[in-house]
Amino acid sequence: MASLRGLSRPARSLPLSQLCRRTYTTTPTRCASSEAAAAPDLNELENTTLTHEQLRPEEKKLFRPWKRAADRTTQLPGQKYKYHPPKYNRGPLHPIQSPPASDPVARDFVPGPFNLPRLKQTFQSTIASDIMTLTYKHVPPGTPPKETPQRLREWDDSSPYHKNRGLRGPRGAPVLPLLERDITFNNIPEIKEITIATYVPEAIKNPYNLIVARSVMLALTGTMPEITKTKANVAQWGIRNGDKAGVKTTLYGNAAYEFLDRCVHLVFPRIKDWQGIKATTGDSSGNLSWGFTPEEMKLFPEVEVNYWLYPARMIPGCRIFVKTTATSDRQARLLLQTFGVPFYGPIRN
Amino acid sequence: MGKLPSTLLRRPSLAPSGAAAGSCLLASSSSPSPTYTPRATTLPSQTQCLLPQHNQQVRHATFVLRSRRPYQFTQLVQLSDGSTFAVRTTSPVGLYRSARDSRNSILWQPSNKTLRNVEMDEAGKLAAFRERYGTSWDLTAPAARAGEEEGVEGGAADGKEEGAAAAAKEAAAPEDPFDSLVDLISAYATTDKTVQGGISAKEQSKMDRSKKK
Repeated sequence: MASLRGLSRPARSLPLSQLCRRTYTTTPTRCASSEAAAAPDLNELENTTLTHEQLRPEEKKLFRPWKRAADRTTQLPGQKYKYHPPKYNRGPLHPIQSPPASDPVARDFVPGPFNLPRLKQTFQSTIASDIMTLTYKHVPPGTPPKETPQRLREWDDSSPYHKNRGLRGPRGAPVLPLLERDITFNNIPEIKEITIATYVPEAIKNPYNLIVARSVMLALTGTMPEITKTKANVAQWGIRNGDKAGVKTTLYGNAAYEFLDRCVHLVFPRIKDWQGIKATTGDSSGNLSWGFTPEEMKLFPEVEVNYWLYPARMIPGCRIFVKTTATSDRQARLLLQTFGVPFYGPIRN
Repeated sequence: MGKLPSTLLRRPSLAPSGAAAGSCLLASSSSPSPTYTPRATTLPSQTQCLLPQHNQQVRHATFVLRSRRPYQFTQLVQLSDGSTFAVRTTSPVGLYRSARDSRNSILWQPSNKTLRNVEMDEAGKLAAFRERYGTSWDLTAPAARAGEEEGVEGGAADGKEEGAAAAAKEAAAPEDPFDSLVDLISAYATTDKTVQGGISAKEQSKMDRSKKK
């Protein structure tokens, strides 16, 4: 920006992109006179209380808010005179509009973030650039871009009715599997969300199992878990459609990074005879998962700290689903390996 | 220390959600609340609502949910190598010292020699025990191994008969490579009946009887 100061006034009024383009062709010369004039007083830009004068002791004694509150004869208006945001959103044309979610008085306001997780910090400073560099594939300039194969089936014009019909899906499966995208500077895989789910079929007989599962999940994640219901009717297992028999919750953003950090560095090393996560995990579109047994759940520091408060043999195991923005399992595995998750066994895809 | 998460957990009702909201049809139709009520075309015998009221989606008003967030503490985690970092957690402990984590686990620190499980056997007692009684792998050794042992024993017997010098000569002399290869192939081809599961119960009982005698 210092070089801009040397430019003339009409040049300064130009947008920045034009100026930058011009600097490639002609280097602007700096004049000593303009440099002397361009030493501005930056104090008015810096609006900080640190530069203010300190109050004198007499002035400090005069500042007594508690005295003013005690001397007040009338009460301040109560809660009912305060502004309360509306309970319902009634559309953009309604005269009463609720404040944005970023407003602290809004009903859906969520404070934070309160810290920057160290795993996220590591990802941003080291892992992202490492993954990009390691998976760099050189393409000579001028190479035509790789064409996406047509995976939908076409009609063989054997009938006149085939004209203008849409393409058909693949045989066997109703959906197309994801195509792997190359990792580039604008496509680096990262953690999207982590879902933690528990199935507690004992809760059909004894609802206290569900409470324990909820409180364990609440302790693990710090979010209010959701109760899931069974979908199947199996008489032998004693389940019916609609029974409350499970708990799940999803973590996004910072919470997801912190949960993964806790798993990798505090829980996994404490599991007895643990080799790693099976490398065959994954849904071939970049989402990996693993599970914890009830014995392994008590290795979490949050459960461990008040383990004795939970009823015996009621703590359930859980399944962890890590959803990433990677488009293939091998990219997702690469991401998790850089986070420190070990894999073992044969690799499927 | 020792407190469950501060959010109060209610005992979930066991009944399916339809039966739980049993009497909502008449009540909600008279109340001015902006929840959607099903039309009166439903049969009078069908007195149950499909969903409880607060879950119902209506078209003219969306309920703005207050999120239920349990309190989260800021905790300092100290790993076993002394490094610390701050996390947000439901655990009320201010400083969490971890005794076992990725900093002192062989899976994450493969180059750290102090973490290796090396047997300390300076007096050689463990080695002597193994020499005398063998290891657990010897119990499950295949038949080829047993054949080798027999061969060794036979060789030793021959050596005793002919003399120690001759035995030493035999051991020192290079064996015919073709011969050894043939041995290898034949050893590979012999099948152990017990391993293959080939002996019948009758044969097994016969063997047991002969062993007893």
